[in-house]
Amino acid sequence: MLELRLVQGSLLKKVLDSIKDLVTDANFDCSATGFSLQAMDSSHVALVALLLRAEGFEHYRCDRNLSMGMNLGNMAKMLKCAGNDDIITIKADDGSDTVTFMFESPNQDKIADFEMKLMDIDSEHLGIPEAEYDAIVRMPSSEFARICRDLSSIGDTVVISVTKEGVKFSTRGDIGAANIVCRQNTTVDKPEEATVIEMNKPVNLTFALRYMNSFTKATPLSNTVTISLSSELPVVVEYKIAEMGYIRFYLAPKIEEDENES
Amino acid sequence: MGIKGLTKLLADNAPSCMKEQKFESYFNRKIAIDASMSIYQFLIVVGRTGTEMLTNEAGEVTSHLQGMFSRTIRLLEAGIKPVYVFDGQPPDLKKQELAKRYAKRADATEDLTDAIAKGDKESIEKFSKRTVKVTKQHNDDCKKLLGLMGVPVVEAPSEAEAQCAALCKSGKVYAVASEDMDSLTFGASKFLRHLMDPSSKKIPVMEFEMSKVLEELNLTMDQFIDLCILSGCDYCESIKGIGGLTALKLIRQHGSIENILENLNKERYQIPDEWPYQEARRLFKEPEVYPGNEEPELKWNPPDEEGLVNFLVKENGFNVDRVTKAIEKIKAAKSKSSQGRLEAFFKPAATGSVPIKRKIFIPIAMTSHQPNLKYSNVESIEENDGKTNRIEPSTIICL
Repeated sequence: MLELRLVQGSLLKKVLDSIKDLVTDANFDCSATGFSLQAMDSSHVALVALLLRAEGFEHYRCDRNLSMGMNLGNMAKMLKCAGNDDIITIKADDGSDTVTFMFESPNQDKIADFEMKLMDIDSEHLGIPEAEYDAIVRMPSSEFARICRDLSSIGDTVVISVTKEGVKFSTRGDIGAANIVCRQNTTVDKPEEATVIEMNKPVNLTFALRYMNSFTKATPLSNTVTISLSSELPVVVEYKIAEMGYIRFYLAPKIEEDENES
Repeated sequence: MGIKGLTKLLADNAPSCMKEQKFESYFNRKIAIDASMSIYQFLIVVGRTGTEMLTNEAGEVTSHLQGMFSRTIRLLEAGIKPVYVFDGQPPDLKKQELAKRYAKRADATEDLTDAIAKGDKESIEKFSKRTVKVTKQHNDDCKKLLGLMGVPVVEAPSEAEAQCAALCKSGKVYAVASEDMDSLTFGASKFLRHLMDPSSKKIPVMEFEMSKVLEELNLTMDQFIDLCILSGCDYCESIKGIGGLTALKLIRQHGSIENILENLNKERYQIPDEWPYQEARRLFKEPEVYPGNEEPELKWNPPDEEGLVNFLVKENGFNVDRVTKAIEKIKAAKSKSSQGRLEAFFKPAATGSVPIKRKIFIPIAMTSHQPNLKYSNVESIEENDGKTNRIEPSTIICL
């Protein structure tokens, strides 16, 4: 038996909008601690990890650890039918092959039930170890989205390098090249407008902009984004979901030919 | 031509060893390909109608170049790093099989002459297919072409299939791509079919995983080789009346060909007088390949644009625009082949969750990680839980 009631239903809508283009089918895992998802894109280059903690729900009941396979496109379609102020409840019975989304309007005058078929999805769950990163950049999420969008009109890849000077995003394409440098800036009116750079070691990594752009679909979820970089690891682009958890995107870097010989 | 009926046998008895994959998902993967086999296919398929072949101005056949060029471009475009392996000296045992093929070809040549005399178009088509032969010139042309394209070429000491498998075992390449199932018998850890089918056919790539094959068939590698020999391979005849399924049963029951021979009803099954199964087994198990430390270095280079234009356009009458466009494609593909994968950083881990929907049936127990799980064990599980055919979720979490 599973029953999760989320007062701020728009949050779930935003979550789905941010991942449905990256991943088509995924298993949602439900445990006593929270509602989570881990899924890779079909080419196994990017991974999304979502966590919505139990405390963030108004009512949270999950009797035992369960996973529910869903087509994210279909789920997004159903959630589109919920109003932005609606309360969303996710319900499923043991052994059932459907999940029900219930939408309640804020003044309780309309209640809608949408039932969706579940799927069997064989997906590999990856263990992601806690890691120390060489550099961590926190910046306004809209700024990051803007940079990715601008650069992708010039080239296909972005080189992110963090030095004492700041964080530099650069690209190169047929028509020319672009460099955008963001310096540390903490003297702002609102804390979410700050750009904070923590660096243990300078890093310089290359990524496909196509994926970065897809990640920025999560921008409506959070005012800030945190980008963690290490030369040994995939980059992590994290959007915190207020009082509930996070959505994290991992992206494997591009590797130069000679380093690739193993 | 591979192992008789192995695909079906695996599909029925070890279904989880095969997985459909998208062609696009092999970017940045190094893949070994049996070149001789490919060239043979090109000569049959590319630009041939009846006895007419695609030729250059001098009248030399260019089908193999055309095929090799466009297929390799397609692989490179997807970010795949191919390495072509050419046949060396065939092992003595295969010479029998080759002699048979040679005789067939001679027959076909005669039939073809007949058919041409009669003007029977259907027969001309049929027999001219069978007279196709890969010559040293074809091989050399392709090696030259691949060299110019920057794609590595390996000359196998003996069988190309065996060398491909060896490259895969030593981790030099990710998988072997072939239509010939004996790649598995040679021990390739990953084997791909339909990788090189034209994209127009829209057939997904079928990926076979050797470890899963053994796990699900519940055999050791040696037993699997014996199974393949019994099913029918290139190196020796098979026993009349024993096909893949019977062979699997016998191997499971007796463990090796020697034991099967001791226990087999000799009246019912005729064992060929001369049946060099031991030699065949040795060829599969210890084929003549480069030893691990002498394996050639595989290096992918940028294409030699001038060389390609000279060779393809000037010498072999290819269209200039096509060749220059293709070169552009090779260069553009470089970015794809450098994309890393998450699996290189994160390893699979078990989840604690149980699917709310899926029902788990007992046969899954046979795929357990104990290679020697005997039937008796499975039966005992069934006795315990046979009625519901369902394992309680709480017991699965620990798997």
